[in-house]
Amino acid sequence: MKTVIGLEIHTQLSTETKAFCSCKNDVYAEVNTNICPVCTGQPGALPILNDQVVEYAIRAALSLECEIHEISSFDRKNYFYPDLPKGYQITQYFHPIATNGHVDLNNGKRIRIQRIHIEEDAGKMFHSSETITEARSSLVDLNRCGIPLIEIVTEPDMEKPEEAREFMEKLRDILRTIEVSTGNMEVGALRCDANVSIRDKERSSSRVEVKNINSFKFVQRALEYEIERITEVMKNGENVPQETRGWDSLTKSTVSMRSKEAENDYRYFPEPDLPILVISKERIDRIKKELPELPDEKAEKYEKTLGVTRDNAKILAKDKTLSKYFENAVASGLSAKDTSNWIVNEVLALFNSDSTEFNHERISIDNLKKIMDYTNSSKISRLVAKEVMAEVYKSGKDPDTIVRGKNLLQVSNENELISVVKEVIAENPDTVAKYKSGKTSVLGFFVGGVMKKTKGKADPKIVGKLIKQLLDDEN
Amino acid sequence: MLFKKSVEGLIEAIKHRELSEEEVIEYFVKRSSKLNSKLKAFLSTCKIKKGKGFLSGIPFAIKDNMQLENMKTTCGSRILEDYGSTYTATAVQKILNMGATVLGKTNLDEFAMGSSTEYSAFFPTKNPWDVERVPGGSSGGSAAAVAAGLVPFALGSDTGGSVRQPASFCGIVGYKPTYGLVSRYGLSAFASSLDQIGPLTKTVRDAAIIGKTIMGIDPNDATTVDKKIDLIDKIESNVEGMRLAVPVEFMKDLNQNVKNTFKKFIEDVKRLGVEVEEVPIPSLKYAVAVYYVIAPAEASSNLSRYDGIRYGLRVEEDSVAGIYNQTRDKGFGSEVKRRIMLGTFTLSAAYYDAYFDKAQKVRTKIKSEMDEVLESYDAIVGPTTPVTAFKFGEISNPLDYYLQDIYTIPANLAGLPSVSVPMGLIDNLPIGVQITSKRFEDAKVLRIARSYEKIRGEFPMPIGGELK
Ligand SMILES: [Zn+2]
Repeated sequence: MKTVIGLEIHTQLSTETKAFCSCKNDVYAEVNTNICPVCTGQPGALPILNDQVVEYAIRAALSLECEIHEISSFDRKNYFYPDLPKGYQITQYFHPIATNGHVDLNNGKRIRIQRIHIEEDAGKMFHSSETITEARSSLVDLNRCGIPLIEIVTEPDMEKPEEAREFMEKLRDILRTIEVSTGNMEVGALRCDANVSIRDKERSSSRVEVKNINSFKFVQRALEYEIERITEVMKNGENVPQETRGWDSLTKSTVSMRSKEAENDYRYFPEPDLPILVISKERIDRIKKELPELPDEKAEKYEKTLGVTRDNAKILAKDKTLSKYFENAVASGLSAKDTSNWIVNEVLALFNSDSTEFNHERISIDNLKKIMDYTNSSKISRLVAKEVMAEVYKSGKDPDTIVRGKNLLQVSNENELISVVKEVIAENPDTVAKYKSGKTSVLGFFVGGVMKKTKGKADPKIVGKLIKQLLDDEN
Repeated sequence: MLFKKSVEGLIEAIKHRELSEEEVIEYFVKRSSKLNSKLKAFLSTCKIKKGKGFLSGIPFAIKDNMQLENMKTTCGSRILEDYGSTYTATAVQKILNMGATVLGKTNLDEFAMGSSTEYSAFFPTKNPWDVERVPGGSSGGSAAAVAAGLVPFALGSDTGGSVRQPASFCGIVGYKPTYGLVSRYGLSAFASSLDQIGPLTKTVRDAAIIGKTIMGIDPNDATTVDKKIDLIDKIESNVEGMRLAVPVEFMKDLNQNVKNTFKKFIEDVKRLGVEVEEVPIPSLKYAVAVYYVIAPAEASSNLSRYDGIRYGLRVEEDSVAGIYNQTRDKGFGSEVKRRIMLGTFTLSAAYYDAYFDKAQKVRTKIKSEMDEVLESYDAIVGPTTPVTAFKFGEISNPLDYYLQDIYTIPANLAGLPSVSVPMGLIDNLPIGVQITSKRFEDAKVLRIARSYEKIRGEFPMPIGGELK
């Protein structure tokens, strides 16, 4: 059995204005307020290409290693739907702006990108029931209508649902890094349709398209479900019809939307209202130069020149604000390796436990530095450090204030610790006996006891030394 | 006899204080309301003035497929019978900015698809030369209004001859500028790659004046070009030594009356020192076929927006598909439906290569053959129409009807400037001569037309401007 997966991805570009009119690109505005004769399809209105769309599309295409075409053009995709005011969508069907790109997965596998083209989004519909056919009434909001999209079409180079998910996440990280899209799947700024087909020795299934996948997790879940479903159908010796299915995130399953026969004939033809799009070599070169470092390049740099572990490097390089945070911390004099561990293991853990996105203001570099300094100079233990950081994260208080206020400084003064150590030894005669009989591994038990009594403030190294001294002395 | 005056004549009269701006406007308002009941040139009337400029005091009319804010723009269709414009077309705005006053919106074949105004969803307009006959179309309302002196000039739109053909039928000047010179913003699209707004006037000089006013690059129309052409500047210069080409294809099958009238034109221009030769342009024989693939294809897409969802007619049904079907069935007339069907067919995946794609290739061929001829000749000339105005209902077969545009279509396919000037009367019905030149040689086209107009002499108005 061999599974073949290809993706068609739509990304909303976060330009100031819409693709073909000067309305604001803002889906959150009050319904039907960002509209004009052009995006509502009034008679006589004409599209004007927003140059920022071209700029963003080139940026994306270059980041995905595509060939940019000096000449591309626009076409009309004709179909009727109430959220499509003109009765056609302006897209690039015959001559897309870019082709032949790729993204490399972490396992080294190359996923080729067939094409990238510019198009416009449709409006948004609100039905009084689940679907338009059941609904007694439907409302249309045209704020979204005309928002620029790029469609990215991959070759069918993926074999596993995890690969599709990784591809999508990498794509999101790239789009965010180059600041062309929020890459937010949950709100539809990034959408993914997956084509899947399965082949065994004798035969192969038809291609099934899965739509409505609205999160990264569901990219994987929907494909897993669909692969299982197709495999099952094939096992039973039945035919897998070519069709479009929709992912239902409530039932965690796919449902048939339409068969191949019911597909629209979109009657593509060149858009006569827009001249061909000419992109100069100079412009491509300029944009190439202005591109920020992409996540994979950055990760490699962290690994090779800063000595950060590969896993940490990948995590830190993914997100622009995070990598900037890391780089600023290193620039402030902190050790790269140490800092990377702190950020990945401690800082990100706090955000993850809240399932919120990283925000450098919650734990400023100054505060991170202070906590790291306290720990590295053994003024507080790693355990206390975690507590302090959680407190900073929660209240935004200064670590100094927290450490002082809660009296958390590590006790490394032997005179202060000796009485506690003695106490613990006195309370555990059985364990003392074990030690004396040669079981030196129980030393940790005594250290733990002291740490508990001092609420983590004791310096474990010194405690260990003292315990050993006292027990050995008794001999 | 104000109605006989050209735009220029009226401007002069106002300038010399023979008439006030208000007097001129009131005169034409009165004349329009009196004669319109017989001609039915207008779909709606108004009196809208916005700016102040050299056209202050000059009334005009616009074809009812151009947007004029706060007025209805019906496109001659039931589907837009109550549609109110939300903005004003660029070309119209440019004239308003110069102080002219819109007196009304004129009748047309539904969505400009036709050559007679018989396909207007509301009523046909009558030819002021003979009210039993069509004024031509699709800008028939504009042509009739100018010919009968209801307004001194009007705007029309020309997709396959819709300005020049009615000008020929009504005995006035009709000018289609080079594609891209005049903004289409606000012109309800029929076939976007062919549509061009142009003036209908009594004189060639007026056509140049109005043409110059509406031209210019428009940030709202990406197909407009940044080209400054002075149409007036050299319009009176002589044309001695120029060479005109008459396509052999135009002369074949031409009826004797038209042939004779055109011969007279050739004799006239030869007296100006112009050479006239017959030249073959073989691909022209495909022009009508190509046009009736490309124009309906674009139209089928352009008219998709009339779906009953956001504006215009809506027939309530239980399903969305039902709303679409019923709205479009009730809203569109037969000719529009025919063209939508044609266009939908030729664009469908199975037939795209055989029809639309092939038509595009032949279009390119026609363009290059015409360009080639225009390398050695200053202009291509011929009768604007194969016949004079026909009677209502006389042509019922669509294929015969489509041949009305046989001479005018090539200029649209090639995007060339073209003007029709009255060249004579046949049985007291006017017919025009068409002069076409290279892209952006609009000034030359008008200069040749003007030279001919001078030697031809004043062209009569229909029965002294009153109706038979
Ligand atoms: Zn808009």
